[in-house]
Amino acid sequence: MPRNLPAHHRRGDGLARAGRAVRLVLLSALALLFLLPFYLLVRNGLSSEADITSPEWTFFPGELHWGNIRELFEDPDVPMAHALLNSSLIAVLTTLGTLLLASLAGYGLARIPYRHANLVFYWILGTLMVPAAVTFVPSFVLVSSLGWISTLRGLVVPTLFQAVAAFIFRQYFLGFPRELEDAARVDGLGYWRTYWRVVVPNSRPVFAAVGTIVFIGAWNSFLWPLVIGQDREAWTVQVALSTFTTAQSVNIHELFVAAAVSIVPLLVVFLVLQRYIVAGVERSGIDD
Amino acid sequence: MSISRRRLLGTFGAGAGLTLTGGLTAACGSNTGRGSDGEGGRPLLAHWYHQYGEPGTEQAVKRYADAYRKADVQVQWRPGNYDQQTAAALLTASGPDVFEVNGPTLDQIRGRQVVDLTDLLSEAKDDFNPAVLAPKTHEGRIWAVPQVVDMQLLYYRKSMLEKAGVEPPRTLDALVDAAKELTTGDVKGLFLGNDGGPGVLGGTPLHAAGLELITTDGEVGFDDPAAARTLGKLHRLFADKSLLLGAPSDWSDPAAFTQGLTAMQWSGLWALPQVKKALGDDFGVLPFPEDGAHGGPAVPVGAYGAAVSARSGHREAAKEYVKWLWVERTEYQEDFALTYGFHIPARISLARRAAKLRAGAAGEAVGYATDHGHAEPLLWTPASKTAYQDALSRIIKSGASPERELRSVVRRTRAELRRVQKKR
Amino acid sequence: MRGAAPHQKSPTRRSRFGRQNRTLWFWVFVGPFVLGLTLFTYVPLAWSAYLSFFDAHNTVSPTEFVGFDNYTAMLRDDAFTDSLLTFLVFTAFIVPATYVLSLSLALMVNRLRWAQAFFRSVFFLPVACSYVVAALIWKMSIFNGVRFGLANTVLGWFGADQIAWLSTTDPPWYWLVIVTVRLWLQAGFYMVLFLAGLQRIPPRLYEAAAVDGARPGWQVFRHITFPQLRATSVAVVLLLVINAFQAFDEFYNLLSDSRGYPPYARPPLVYLYYTALGQGQNLGLGSAGAVILALIIAVVTVAQARWFGLGRKED
Repeated sequence: MPRNLPAHHRRGDGLARAGRAVRLVLLSALALLFLLPFYLLVRNGLSSEADITSPEWTFFPGELHWGNIRELFEDPDVPMAHALLNSSLIAVLTTLGTLLLASLAGYGLARIPYRHANLVFYWILGTLMVPAAVTFVPSFVLVSSLGWISTLRGLVVPTLFQAVAAFIFRQYFLGFPRELEDAARVDGLGYWRTYWRVVVPNSRPVFAAVGTIVFIGAWNSFLWPLVIGQDREAWTVQVALSTFTTAQSVNIHELFVAAAVSIVPLLVVFLVLQRYIVAGVERSGIDD
Repeated sequence: MSISRRRLLGTFGAGAGLTLTGGLTAACGSNTGRGSDGEGGRPLLAHWYHQYGEPGTEQAVKRYADAYRKADVQVQWRPGNYDQQTAAALLTASGPDVFEVNGPTLDQIRGRQVVDLTDLLSEAKDDFNPAVLAPKTHEGRIWAVPQVVDMQLLYYRKSMLEKAGVEPPRTLDALVDAAKELTTGDVKGLFLGNDGGPGVLGGTPLHAAGLELITTDGEVGFDDPAAARTLGKLHRLFADKSLLLGAPSDWSDPAAFTQGLTAMQWSGLWALPQVKKALGDDFGVLPFPEDGAHGGPAVPVGAYGAAVSARSGHREAAKEYVKWLWVERTEYQEDFALTYGFHIPARISLARRAAKLRAGAAGEAVGYATDHGHAEPLLWTPASKTAYQDALSRIIKSGASPERELRSVVRRTRAELRRVQKKR
Repeated sequence: MRGAAPHQKSPTRRSRFGRQNRTLWFWVFVGPFVLGLTLFTYVPLAWSAYLSFFDAHNTVSPTEFVGFDNYTAMLRDDAFTDSLLTFLVFTAFIVPATYVLSLSLALMVNRLRWAQAFFRSVFFLPVACSYVVAALIWKMSIFNGVRFGLANTVLGWFGADQIAWLSTTDPPWYWLVIVTVRLWLQAGFYMVLFLAGLQRIPPRLYEAAAVDGARPGWQVFRHITFPQLRATSVAVVLLLVINAFQAFDEFYNLLSDSRGYPPYARPPLVYLYYTALGQGQNLGLGSAGAVILALIIAVVTVAQARWFGLGRKED
C-alpha cells in the first residue's frame, strides 16, 4: 500500500503532512457536496410550502413540519403505505429469486463440465446488450397475454433472469477453492448437495453483495413497474413518486417527504450491508 | 403463499386506515372485470377515468356508477400518464370495458380498438357541442361521447399590468411587448409552461393567425407564410427573457401565477376557482391574441369522451351503460361538469342553463370558447403533432428558422395524411 | 486430511459424475435461468424483430407487411438520428467524467489513514438513491428555474441572473443537470470497484519503484497504479458505456411533462418509448428503431471488448 512506503518517510515530513491536509479538505468538501441532496430532501420534506417557495433561501427552515409525514400517509390519491409494501414485496421476492436462479446458473457454468457450456454462456451474456426498450412492447404484450398485468407475478417474474448476476456468480465460482468441493465429493455428495452444503455456506459475501445490488435495482426500478403496475393498488414507490410530478398541480413538500420516505428503507439495508458489498465486489472478480 | 400474501396485504391496508382494496392481490386472482359477471348475473364493467384534480369527482362518478341497475360498474381512477396507460391496455385483453379518452386517436378508430357509438346519440346528437363532437367523428360515425368541454386561456394580473402601464394585450405583438414590460427581476411577464410553450400552445397561434392545422377537406392548413411569421414572434418572448421557465409546477397549475412568479399565465379554465380564491378580483382572462390581417383571437377547446373498448367482453352492455350515463342522465352530466371542477357541459342545453358560467371571468371564458374555440382535428395524428411540437420548440427556444422548420412539419404531416386516408 | 479409503471408492463415484449425468446436472443448474431468460428476453426480442417488418399501428398482431420501410423511415427520421447524436454527446461527457471522478475518489480515500470507512460510505450512499428521487431533487430543488432554486440562489449571491437550467438550449445548461445527477448516483459504485482494484496491487511494486527513485505522486501513478488498474478500468468503461446506452430514467423524470418531451436531450430509449408506447403507438416503427439500437449496442460492445482484449481469458 502506498501509504506504507518508506519513501514517504524519507521525504520531508512537513510536505507529506501538507499533502494529507489538502486531501482531507478536498475530500470533506466533496463529501458535503455528496450529502447536500440528502439534506435538501429532508429540508424540503419537513418545510411548509411557503418556506420552500419563499424568495429568501434558508438553509434551515424556521419550523420543522413533522405533520407532513402523516399528511403523506393520509393522502387518498397516492397510496404511499401500499406502495411501500408493494416495493418491499417486489424487492424481496426479486432478490431471493434472482439469487437462487443466477447462483445456480453461475455454478453450473463455472463447475459442471458440458460440451456446449460456452455457447450457453454467450447466450446469457448476449442479453446484456439488449436494452429494455428494445423488448419493451413485446414483453408487455407477453406479460399481458399471460394475464399478469398489475399482478405481483407480472412485476417480479420477468425481472428474475439477470445476466449480470449470473455472470458475477460464474466469475466468483471460477475462483472458488476446488479443494473444498473435492472434499465434499469424496464424501459422496453430488453436485446438488455439494452446492448447498459446501459452496453456498462458504460464499455468503458474494450472495450479500449481489443480493444488495439486486435489491437496490428492484426497489428503484421505474420503467417496468410504470407499465405493468397499472392499477393504483399495484404501484411501487417509484411510480407513486413520479405521479406527483405529472399530477395537475404539484404539492412540493409532499413530494419531497414522499421521496425521503421512499429511500429510508433502502438506506438502512444499505448501511447495514455495505461492507458485504465492498467485500463482495473485491472477491467476485466483477472487474477481472 | 398467495393466501398469506393476500391476508398480509389486506391486514396492512385496513390497519393503515386507507381505502385500499388490495387490488394487487385481487388482480392476482386474475379477476380484472374482463368478460366476467358481477352479482346476480349482471355483467361486470370496468370503467376507467383519468385522475381529476378536483375533490369529490371520484366519489361522484362512483355514485353514478352505483346508480346503474343493468350492470355492475367498477370505476377505476387512474392517476399518472393516462393516455399511455389506456393505449397500452387496449393492446391486450386486460383493459377496460368503458373508458374516458382524450381522443380516441384516428389509429385507434382505424385499428378497430373502439366501438362505433353513433346509434347512442341518435336524436340528442344536435345538442352536443359541434366543436368537440367533430374530433370524435370519423367518416360520419361517432366513436366517443363527449363528456365535458375543457378550454385554455390567458390569465393576467390586473394590478401588475396597471403598475407597468400596460393594456391587456389584444394582438400577439402587444402580448410580446407586454410580457417584456412586465418582466422585472423577480417576476416574469408570461408563463407558457416550463417548456416555453410548444407543448400547451399547439395549434393555437396558427388559429390566431387565421390558419388551421388540417383543413376540412383533409389538407395541411398551415402551409402559408403567415404561419412562419406568427410562430417566429413567439421566439421573441423567449429571446426577451420574458418567459417564466423551470417553475416547480407546470402551466396546468395556477401556482406560478398565484405565487406571483409571473404576471400572465396560460392555463386551463379549471384553474379559475383557484385563481379567484387566491387573487379575488385582481385578475382578468383573455383568449390567445390575434396576429396578422386575417387573424382572430383563439382558444383551444377539447373534450374527454366516453368510449367502449372493442375487446370488451360485454360490448352491448357497455354501450347501453354509456348511453345511460352520458346521453340520457343529463342531471349527472350537469353535476359532473359544474359541481366539482370548472368545465363547460358538452350539451348545449346544459351549458346555456348554467348560472355559474354566466357571470364575470367565467362568462367571458365561455364566450371565448363559443366564439373562438378550435378543437384539434382527428386527422392531426400524434406523429404530426410530435413533429410540429418539436419544430415549435426549436423555433421558440433555439431560434431556428420558422420557414425551414415548418417545411419539414408540412412534409411529415402530408405523409401522415396520405397514410391515414389510404383505404385499408 | 483424509485417508486413502475414498480413493478406493472412486470408480463408483466416477459413474455418478459420468458425462450423461454431468449434462443432466448442468441443465438442472443452468436450465431454469436459461429458460426464463429465453422466454422473457429472446422471445420478446424476436417478436420485436417481427413487428419491425409490419405496419403495426396500435396492434401487436399486424397483417400489413412493409418490408424494410420502417427501417428506412427510422434512419431518415431526423429525430431518431438526433437521439443517437444525443447519446454520443452524453457518453462523451459521462464516461470520462465518471471515470475520472470515481478514480480520484478511490485514490484519495485509499490513502486515508483514518475515517476511511466514513468517506467511503458517504460517496457510496447515493448508489442507494433512485433516479426518480434524484431527478426530483435536481429538478425541483437544485436546478429549478426560479428564485427559490439552490443553484439560482447561489448565482444570486454573485449578482447573476436566474437561469432556467432545463429549458435553456443555448448554452445547453440541461447537460449540466443531466450529467451531475448521474455522476452523483453512480460515482460511488465505481469508486468501490477502483478501491478493490487498488487493494490488489502488490505493495512490493511500490517498494521497487521507490528503490528505483520514482517520486510518489504522478510518476508512481502513471507507471504503477494506473497500469495495474487496467482490468478494473476496462470493466468500468464497459459498464459505463452500456449504462449510458440504457439511459432513460433521469432523462424522463427531468424533462418530460404531460405534453411530451422536448426535442433536445432526447436519448434513443426515450424517443422510442414515445414512438412505440406514446399516443402514436407506432409499434412497427418503434421496433425497427429498437432493433437498430440493439445492433449498434452489440457492435459497440463487441468492438470495445476486442479493443480491450476482453474475453481472451475466457477462451
